[in-house]
Amino acid sequence: MADDVGLQKDVTVGGDYRPRTLHLKLLRKQWQILALQIIATVALVGMYLEVVSTYVVGSIDHTMLFDTIEVLIGQQLPIGDFLTGEGSSGLGRFSVPLVLGLTLGGSMALLAFQTPKTQQRIKLGFIITLIVMLIGRLVVSWGFGMLTSFDLRLPDQAELSTLEWPLLMILSLMILFMYLLPVIMGTRGIWGLSRRSIAWSIGFTLLFLGIHAILAFPLINGQLGSYGDALTTVETQFTEPTIGLFGLMLVTNEQFALIMIAVLIMVFQESSYGVIRYLEYAYRLPESCKRDPEYVRQMDNVLNTHLKHTFGFLGLTGIATMVALGFHSVLLDIVEGSTGSQWAGQVSESIELSLTYGLVISALMFLSIMALLRFFVPWERVWGLVNTIRGENQAAPVAATKDVVDL
Amino acid sequence: MWTRKASFTFTGGIALVLIGMMISNLQMMILGLTFVAFIVVNSWISGHGEVEVQRTLSADNLYKGDDLYVELLVTNRSNRNTQLLEVYDNIPHEMKLRSGLNQMRLNLKPGESARIRYVLRCPLRGHYSIGPVSLRSRNTFNLGVDEMYVDHHSDIVIFPQIKEVEEAFLRSRTPKMYTGATTLRTPGQGSEFYSLREYVPGDPFKNINWKAFARTGELMVNEKCRDAVTDLYLLLDSRDISRIGTVLKNPLEMGTVSAASLAAFFLKRRDSVALAIFDEKLSYLPPDTGDKQYFKILSALAGVSPKGAMPLQAVTNSLSGRFSRGSPVFIISSCEGDGTVPAAVRDLVGRGHEVTVLSPSSIDFERLVSRIPRMSYEVLKLERQNRLTTLAGSGAQVIDWMPDMDLSQALMQVRGY
Repeated sequence: MADDVGLQKDVTVGGDYRPRTLHLKLLRKQWQILALQIIATVALVGMYLEVVSTYVVGSIDHTMLFDTIEVLIGQQLPIGDFLTGEGSSGLGRFSVPLVLGLTLGGSMALLAFQTPKTQQRIKLGFIITLIVMLIGRLVVSWGFGMLTSFDLRLPDQAELSTLEWPLLMILSLMILFMYLLPVIMGTRGIWGLSRRSIAWSIGFTLLFLGIHAILAFPLINGQLGSYGDALTTVETQFTEPTIGLFGLMLVTNEQFALIMIAVLIMVFQESSYGVIRYLEYAYRLPESCKRDPEYVRQMDNVLNTHLKHTFGFLGLTGIATMVALGFHSVLLDIVEGSTGSQWAGQVSESIELSLTYGLVISALMFLSIMALLRFFVPWERVWGLVNTIRGENQAAPVAATKDVVDL
Repeated sequence: MWTRKASFTFTGGIALVLIGMMISNLQMMILGLTFVAFIVVNSWISGHGEVEVQRTLSADNLYKGDDLYVELLVTNRSNRNTQLLEVYDNIPHEMKLRSGLNQMRLNLKPGESARIRYVLRCPLRGHYSIGPVSLRSRNTFNLGVDEMYVDHHSDIVIFPQIKEVEEAFLRSRTPKMYTGATTLRTPGQGSEFYSLREYVPGDPFKNINWKAFARTGELMVNEKCRDAVTDLYLLLDSRDISRIGTVLKNPLEMGTVSAASLAAFFLKRRDSVALAIFDEKLSYLPPDTGDKQYFKILSALAGVSPKGAMPLQAVTNSLSGRFSRGSPVFIISSCEGDGTVPAAVRDLVGRGHEVTVLSPSSIDFERLVSRIPRMSYEVLKLERQNRLTTLAGSGAQVIDWMPDMDLSQALMQVRGY
């Protein structure tokens, strides 16, 4: 699909009048599409920063790996500290690499919109540059050495040492690439309209979380020795909640960070996939429909709704999760406060109920009640009432004639 | 109904919660809980409000090959948005979209309407129905989908094409034939005034003479002189064998086109035209004139489909009593697979009818769909020629109609008789 964007022509009826159509070239500049792409990018960056700040920084971040490699090889890596973030502290270590990742992802997206011939040329240029960088100095010095000594021989030690710099540079770049893979692929997916790249980005993040969870499991963590100690683990023993709504404290800072990671993953996924889905639909429409104002109007409606729901429903999802996590304390308060029997005392003092199992079970119970509310609260009517109050329920005039093109 | 995405999200969420509990990992538990919360929150809004659908067609009756303009007006009659609604107008598979699209993704605000316009090409005659309208509502994140349809149908009839038939091609050796209408001094269907008579229930109102009513105080109707016309009989072969060829080009299709064109030509001259279609049974439309008869003939031809194997002689035997004396009879048949054709033609000619056999060449139609060896083709062709020569020898005018030949061109074969 990306290939076709550049090939389509602008559509004008004549003169300066340029009607809105659903041609990709115009649609991609529409504010709702851009807004969704920006939201997805912000969510991607937010998700990445939340993950690295929770699990990576100061534990297994790239600067520590670079330091280890430098100690092992006994020399500085060729890539500059400014670029890697070495010497900075906290999330500052990721600020420049993050910008690099976004730029690289953006460039890859831009490349996807070039003609196949241009793409081929750029890729070829990149490969040639890489080869020249890798073995260029070796070939020149070796060849020159053979010419001057008039001897056919294998490269000597001094000549082979010219490979060190490019190999270390490529190694550093590969390490950075691995760390920034979600950002690079995510940016490429959002702006280059690639489902596969988005899946890579989300998949890699989830894979990292999964591997981290397994390694942080006490049984395995203990086997890792000092390496295991370096892993950041989130305690399942809860402290007093500090974040909440309307004065009601629901979750701790750690829990909030974890909720943010989950919600941002979903915002990133839904916004980026949404853009691709809508552009695909527009792309598949026949020419006459792309120019039909009715289709343009409905596309606007669909995109506006998606934007509203991205904020509304995903915001509500985050809030629902927060309330669900704080629900066990509400239950315990109710039991403690309402009955006063021996059973109530035992229940309220039960450690089990305030620990992981109690928390999760009460959270799932809360979500089940929320799901059941669907059958008791007429949400459709509620939304209709809200719309009426907002004055949206006035019938929109039906266009008797079309502005531009008729069948 | 949950989509696959919703099912995976929910299952994944529960799995993450359980695995998180097993390995004491809060991130997994919270990730799982968030997935479940996402499903729960999104399940609050499902389906769509009341949607009204109205379809307008450019015509109810069309000729084969014409374009049909369709407009579907979808209106949200409820007090809430429809959410993402996919509207799909079901069209018969025989029709082809020429412009526009019969579907749209929309999200209608309360009271809002959307118009879906498209153009259909109708390449095949027949009786068709457009509809029902399928509706599929999804929520924004594609977690729930509900499908339903609005049982709204629009019926259309696609008539066979009418080809231009030139007068000269149908000149007959009998001067009486094809002379058009002359009036007789007897009451009946016609154009000239004959007399006044009292109104009888069932008489059309347009025939009431209002001046006479004003004068006498009694309802009187005008009676017309009966037009003496030629009664023309069209016998169309719709047996199963007439399906040989492609969907668009086969003896039956060419037969319907020729029957419709001949009927149009003679009815325009105010002759009476009768139509008999024989397949597994005999359908007979008695001779009559006017637009009503024209419409009846076209409707009958639109619904013709190949079936059965009724012999021609059975048709002529059962209809011979109804044929007017000396009236011309057109037999439109490939004359294949029916040994009674020569006898039937001989019988009709013997009764004084001028018989014209318009015979689409089924062998050549078969060649369009399958490869026939040259020798076999030559033999089959020779057999056909012999058959047609026999019919010509019986006194009928025989037209061998090739697939790529126009009707006017085919009718030229009888010119000069």
